[in-house]
Amino acid sequence: MTLWFIRGIRRGVVTTRYPARPDASARFLPAPPAFRPRALTRVTATRLVTACPSEALRLDDLALVYDVGRCTACGRCAAEAPDAVQSSGEFELAATVRSGLIKRIPLRETR
Amino acid sequence: MTAEELRETIARQFGRSLHIRTLDTGSCAVCEQEIRLLTAPHYDLHRLGFFFTPAPRHADLLLVTGPMIRAFEVAVRKTYDAMPGPKVVVATGACALGGVYPADPFTHGTVDAVLPVDVWIPGCPPSPLALLHGLGVAVGRLAEKVQDLPFTADDQPERTRGDS
Repeated sequence: MTLWFIRGIRRGVVTTRYPARPDASARFLPAPPAFRPRALTRVTATRLVTACPSEALRLDDLALVYDVGRCTACGRCAAEAPDAVQSSGEFELAATVRSGLIKRIPLRETR
Repeated sequence: MTAEELRETIARQFGRSLHIRTLDTGSCAVCEQEIRLLTAPHYDLHRLGFFFTPAPRHADLLLVTGPMIRAFEVAVRKTYDAMPGPKVVVATGACALGGVYPADPFTHGTVDAVLPVDVWIPGCPPSPLALLHGLGVAVGRLAEKVQDLPFTADDQPERTRGDS
């Protein structure tokens, strides 16, 4: 407290840096999914789109379009296809551009 | 009026201090629970120079949660107009980003439909750590990471805690 006070007087800044150290509880937080393009066929992707309750997943001609902003990290896609979906472990997802939250996941080519 | 303008102003004029007004536009209150936790000792919002204020007149940053119900639109506009510029709008949670409720006669579905949003914080709810990161991004003290994240995993399947 005393050190903090003296440092604040000397520098004129009393706020601290963030993050001072990684948070130990961060790995228990729910995180949005990460997809495995090698296991992601069109059939699997269609099942994932159906399983998603918040319309975060959409299928277009070439890719699975994943809107991170709409995702509630409920884990239903990971339950639907555990081989193709796993937790990404990322939770610091703030964006200054809305389109930066929309990701295109390539599909596996099927013959 | 822009976020860049405010970033410079915060560093220079406000002495790294920023006042936050929270606005609930019909959320389920779990986002509010997480926002309330920011003042708990573990997260300690005040050490970073952020403060909550009850009046929009004193606020520099508007933290909006919920899917923007139409009944609340007038109040939202009045709150935004009452804030002095430069000001920043942060949309918080999956509802505010359009994930949970569609646009219908009762809700707009997104905060973007009514307010000019500067920073989007995903999550349902965003954890206090995610909110702190979002506030850091809003004032230009932290870099945003999500732009470069591909959300793909190409390694071999591994058995994690969630699998059984």
